[in-house]
Amino acid sequence: MRFLLDAEQRGFAASLDALLSAADVPAVIRSRAAGDDAPLRALWRRLADVGVFALAVPETYGGTGLLPVELVLSCVELGRHGMPGPLAETFAASTLLESVGQTALLPGVASGQVILSLAAEGGYAADPDLADAVLRVGEGKAPLRQSLDPARRVGLPEDAIAVESGAERATGLAALCTAALALGTGRHLLAATVEYARTRTQFGTPIGGFQAVKHRLADVLLQLDFAEPLLYGAAVALQDALPSAGSDIAAAKAACGEAGYAAARAALQLHGAIGYTDEFDLSLWIRRARVLRNAWGTPSACRRRVLAGRIDG
Amino acid sequence: MSLRIVVCVKYVPDATGDRRFADDNTTDRDSVDGLLSELDEYGVEQALKIAEASGDAEVTVLTVGPDDAKDALRKALSMGADKAVHVNDDDIHGTDVIGTSAILAKAIEKTGFDLVVCGMASTDGTMGVIPALLSERLGVPQVTLLSEVGVEGGTVKGRRDGDAATELLEASLPAVVSVTDQSGEARYPSFKGIMAAKKKPVESLDLDDLGIEADEVGLAGAWTAVDSATARPARTAGTIVKDEGEGGKQLAEFLASQKFI
Repeated sequence: MRFLLDAEQRGFAASLDALLSAADVPAVIRSRAAGDDAPLRALWRRLADVGVFALAVPETYGGTGLLPVELVLSCVELGRHGMPGPLAETFAASTLLESVGQTALLPGVASGQVILSLAAEGGYAADPDLADAVLRVGEGKAPLRQSLDPARRVGLPEDAIAVESGAERATGLAALCTAALALGTGRHLLAATVEYARTRTQFGTPIGGFQAVKHRLADVLLQLDFAEPLLYGAAVALQDALPSAGSDIAAAKAACGEAGYAAARAALQLHGAIGYTDEFDLSLWIRRARVLRNAWGTPSACRRRVLAGRIDG
Repeated sequence: MSLRIVVCVKYVPDATGDRRFADDNTTDRDSVDGLLSELDEYGVEQALKIAEASGDAEVTVLTVGPDDAKDALRKALSMGADKAVHVNDDDIHGTDVIGTSAILAKAIEKTGFDLVVCGMASTDGTMGVIPALLSERLGVPQVTLLSEVGVEGGTVKGRRDGDAATELLEASLPAVVSVTDQSGEARYPSFKGIMAAKKKPVESLDLDDLGIEADEVGLAGAWTAVDSATARPARTAGTIVKDEGEGGKQLAEFLASQKFI
């Protein structure tokens, strides 16, 4: 089993990094928050141009077939750069379109013209107002509400398409992608906080020089670094359809969600008052981390799933 | 017959890294990560656009450089170029722009070409004269520093935006063109492009293959010699004007004393 990304995978991550670095994602988030989705849709299509949304679309419909490892490394980059929109939901829902007889949408998903969302059983769909089609596992409807994340709204429209089969694998994929987004979010929060600790001075010295600050940052790094192998391990388990895939994904989701959230807490505290400021871009990542921690499996639900896997297996 | 486009690209030290000279006053290519020169990405992009518009074209990327330089070729291939040529020979170390143009010209002739596309300059040497030297060596017209370029029939046409005037230029093929950083954002390699690049051919050539003698190139063959290099002095601390009611005046006096106002 290979645990290191190969040159092509690293090259793809670098390509996404370059594209997103040049894209001014915070402006895209703020536009979406203000009700203008055009910049988000434009960036979504550019991501599709480099092949991001083809990664969960079958080959016959313009995709590559499901590639969990490439999806995970894409989501880490997307999370790191703060890309808004129902990313995990689009990836997961695109694996269900065949089973619900909506294959006509698949080429559009791959080309970035079609955005999807997906609601878990008893849950909401992320950004149903943005999605061209919403799928639901289970019953229900719910009005549109604003999430803590300013770029995100949740709800469940009446015309959502009911999923009959394949729901477990798709929700697993959504959890895996969300875990990767959370890890990427945490990576950015840590990097930004380290940079701030280098430049912000107090008592005549950069605050990064104080041991208490260093330890706080080191703890976050440890949490992120320890979560990452679980994430890629789960991607490989899903790719190889291992029986442990479900609990592996749960373990990754718990670890990445908690690590991303820990990064947000540390970022907020170490930035001091500025971290609370709406105008400061970092706040966009801080709020995202909280949302991603609970989406597609709260840490405690994921831990229960891991324990159940242990007992069953 | 298909349009044969050769794009000259360079593998350069990352400009965001701590670039320095090696002991022999050549560019230190070991201590800093390298990459495909950003300015050459514009050349690759325009070549691919011309190829897409023509529908029947083959884009070859060509570089002269050490082993690592194949990364630059790989990047260009993943953007969509069809094949690559890598001229690599220990004797090339230290070659100046005159020698480099001689090597490139031989390699371009060997590959066969209708159009040669270059960036406006490398981001390390920043000479910017390779297109002109290639035009002389290949005996074909040059149309340089274009911010818009296209091929129609047997003619390459383009627009050069100068400070005082905008020129519309054209030349009959075969020709050499160079494009600026205003020619349009270079595409990002797609997943499919990256996977396809693995299977694209990269031809390796050395000086013998091109019929070039070692003493014509390299440090010894260079027309220019770097005697010494001095690091730019560190920036000195600026003057801080503390506003105690007279801040604006002091600021104006400082600017006047430096002849800014």
